[in-house]
Amino acid sequence: MSSRKTQILAIDAGGTMTDTFIIDDHGEFVVGKAQTTPGDESVGLLYSAEDALSLWDMKVEDAFPQLLTGVYSGTAMLNRLVSRKGRKVGLIVNRGMEDFHRMGRSIQSYLGYSYSDRLHINTHRYDPPLVPREWTRGVTERVDLFGNVVIPLYEQEVAPAVRELVDAGVEAIVISFLHSYKNPIHERRARDIVQETLDTLESDIPIFASVDYYPVRKETPRTNTTIIEAYAADPSRRTLELVNERVKEKGANFDIRVMASHGGTISIKANELARTLVSGPIGGVVGGRYLGQALGLKNIVCSDIGGTSFDIALINQGDFSIDTSPDMARLVLSLPLVAMDSVGAGTGSFVRVDPYTKSIVLGPDSAGYRVGVCYPDGGLDTITVSDCHVVLGLINPDNFLGGQVKLDRQRAYDAVKEQLATPLGMSVEAASFGVIELLEAQLRNYLESLVMGKGYSPTQFSCFSYGGGGPLHTAGYVKGLGFEDVLVPAWAAGFSAFGCGAADFEYRYDKTLDINVGYQATENVRDDAAEALQGAWNELTEKVRDEFDKNGFASSAVQLRLNFRMQYQGQLNDLEIESPLTVLNGATDWDKLADTFEDVYARVYARAARSPELGYTVTGAIVRGSVEIPKPKIPEEPYESETPNSAAFQGQRKVYWDGEFLMADIWEMEALKAGNRVRAFAVIESPATTFVIPPGFEAVLDTHRIFHLRQVSEGR
Amino acid sequence: MAKYDKATIEELIDGTIDFFQLKDMLSSFKDPGRFDTYLEILQERVPWEDRILMPYSLHLYVVQKSDGQRIIKCDCGHEFCEAHDNWKLHALIHVRETDEKLQVLYPELLAPDPQWQVIREYYCPGCASQLEVESVTPWYPVLHDFDPDIDGFYEEWLGRPVPQPSGKSR
Repeated sequence: MSSRKTQILAIDAGGTMTDTFIIDDHGEFVVGKAQTTPGDESVGLLYSAEDALSLWDMKVEDAFPQLLTGVYSGTAMLNRLVSRKGRKVGLIVNRGMEDFHRMGRSIQSYLGYSYSDRLHINTHRYDPPLVPREWTRGVTERVDLFGNVVIPLYEQEVAPAVRELVDAGVEAIVISFLHSYKNPIHERRARDIVQETLDTLESDIPIFASVDYYPVRKETPRTNTTIIEAYAADPSRRTLELVNERVKEKGANFDIRVMASHGGTISIKANELARTLVSGPIGGVVGGRYLGQALGLKNIVCSDIGGTSFDIALINQGDFSIDTSPDMARLVLSLPLVAMDSVGAGTGSFVRVDPYTKSIVLGPDSAGYRVGVCYPDGGLDTITVSDCHVVLGLINPDNFLGGQVKLDRQRAYDAVKEQLATPLGMSVEAASFGVIELLEAQLRNYLESLVMGKGYSPTQFSCFSYGGGGPLHTAGYVKGLGFEDVLVPAWAAGFSAFGCGAADFEYRYDKTLDINVGYQATENVRDDAAEALQGAWNELTEKVRDEFDKNGFASSAVQLRLNFRMQYQGQLNDLEIESPLTVLNGATDWDKLADTFEDVYARVYARAARSPELGYTVTGAIVRGSVEIPKPKIPEEPYESETPNSAAFQGQRKVYWDGEFLMADIWEMEALKAGNRVRAFAVIESPATTFVIPPGFEAVLDTHRIFHLRQVSEGR
Repeated sequence: MAKYDKATIEELIDGTIDFFQLKDMLSSFKDPGRFDTYLEILQERVPWEDRILMPYSLHLYVVQKSDGQRIIKCDCGHEFCEAHDNWKLHALIHVRETDEKLQVLYPELLAPDPQWQVIREYYCPGCASQLEVESVTPWYPVLHDFDPDIDGFYEEWLGRPVPQPSGKSR
């Protein structure tokens, strides 16, 4: 079957396994796995691609030249950071403030903790700092928040600091001074002196000044991010180059791009590589936006259940929002990150009974790839949600991951009986069903509170459900919320990889500003404000164009989108808003920006929350530039009958549901055709996912291979 | 239900336990066998034979004498008093009630003002271990920290009678 047209290569290089997703023009995909080869990741990648293509009887040499594009996402950089195996970095900061990095702004003692551990103070703990105190030096200087020089740079202090750091054996030097984003003169001068000193020492270690990378407010995130650039990101560049070379050797006609945390992809030659630190779950959100555009949906809730977590992101008016001060690996960062909310409940979550209250407790820890007790090779003793799926008959134990992983129903049954059913005094099936109901109720509450908390109602949104575990629970967690539509793509399990393939080739640059315009300000003040913002956009546009220039894209090919961050004066938080204008000319254009802010503020909070009498502050400028690249085709199939073809019917299976055993119709997902309507009670199976249609629901497959789940009666 | 081996609990006592193991203990349901394992380790470490009924503080224990009496005892072997009594009334005391004595511990200005607050240190007459420190106003009575309901703990929480001295039955 080598008539297939391979379109997209998406690579997910994890710590242990490298997954490759190869997607064809029907949206069908194959997944290949191979062990990661940490020395040279490209080796594992090729084995993994071979493994994937063997399922389609294709060879790498045949498939790669057909590919339109390839996107890499990996955890190598994050692993380097988490396991503290990066470069030895020296840090130069303001004299007298050498300790701020290791103090972690206090918050770093509980970042990434569950709700209960956040409150459980004894669990709080600081990780070792990226740069130890003995490799930190202070230099006397001070610039205030308006950019005024309060204490000049004591230039004579720089060279001795550099010599000491070089003697200590550091492999890179980071410079980060207070308010350098506002006035970079001292930081740049210090950078130049460091360079001169290194030249006289005949040392070629790299220098990273924060203003050249992340010129934004808040010194702890800014310093952390710049250190990560030196510590983990820059050393990973060679890895990416090797991957790119190897893929091209096999006939690919494109440069590999890397998924970045702002939801676009960037080149491996990009200046700021730390932007690619986090990429995994972002793929799904980007895929959701892309699919939404194609289907004409503007408001979407993306929901993804994997083995360890339930991730939700909102796409509002066709775009996701960005969190500019996220945390990752227990560090606060100043990277723009696609805003996502995550709760630690997935199909691998452990299930326990509280010995005192006799209530069921899910997670927050999870079995991950070890599935549950039902997977004998996993070596687990504690039951998981997956064990309950197996007990109820929702998962076919012989067809898990296409039958590659054999599950043992009896083991799961015995373990659920001992750990759950007996202590609760219930039947094994009823106890398992209770776990599923509890999980779905938690997810439903969470989903509802997130949508409502942002000022919306679920009726304004469509819900995309994907991930390996998503479709098992879709009906349960959307029940009664009243979404406009609920969509389950047939390629749900590979949706994140699809999203990586659908991501724009996009650079994004941020800059902190402080533009204050009072209530009913004079025309002059508003003119100046417009000019200042336009100046920042021009500066960032230059940076975006430079990055595309490195990849041979003329500036005429770059599409620019301008954003700004605005708040009422005196507020601590701002909103990111897309500018309705591409060029600002004077006071009237300023007023248009302010009006746009007022509209967005009213939507996010409430109309009555608006306070224009306080005046406005612009806190940041953002420029996003993208160029056209090939995108995956969304499948398009002719409409067939409403009644599914008998070839898709796989017989019936006994499934326990809400107090009784029901006979569920089993359907093969791949064999269903556009227009087919599947009525409850049904389980639609594919190698990588299982879609449950419980009583009260039905699903219709559309011409794009997307299932629409509908509630047909008041659910039970 | 959590269950930790003896080596893990020994590390916990010695303060050498790996943080991630410790965090697991903190964040999960408690192991029901903890008290017994803990007591077994403490009993092995003390140089005397009396049976420990309950650890009282870092160096102190409530032990059972062969005649059934419950006594508060230091790990050096010094016996303070009967279990319901306040052992501090039988200890050696050092009171820091002058600037000079307080500034042995703290720099000037970081030390408390002795007119407001004094530091009372309680020592074992047998081995001079510092057993407890109180930080109170000058006239404040000696505090009786802890008067445990040992019988209730054994019978209702551990679900078994308090151990009896060998040869005796209840």
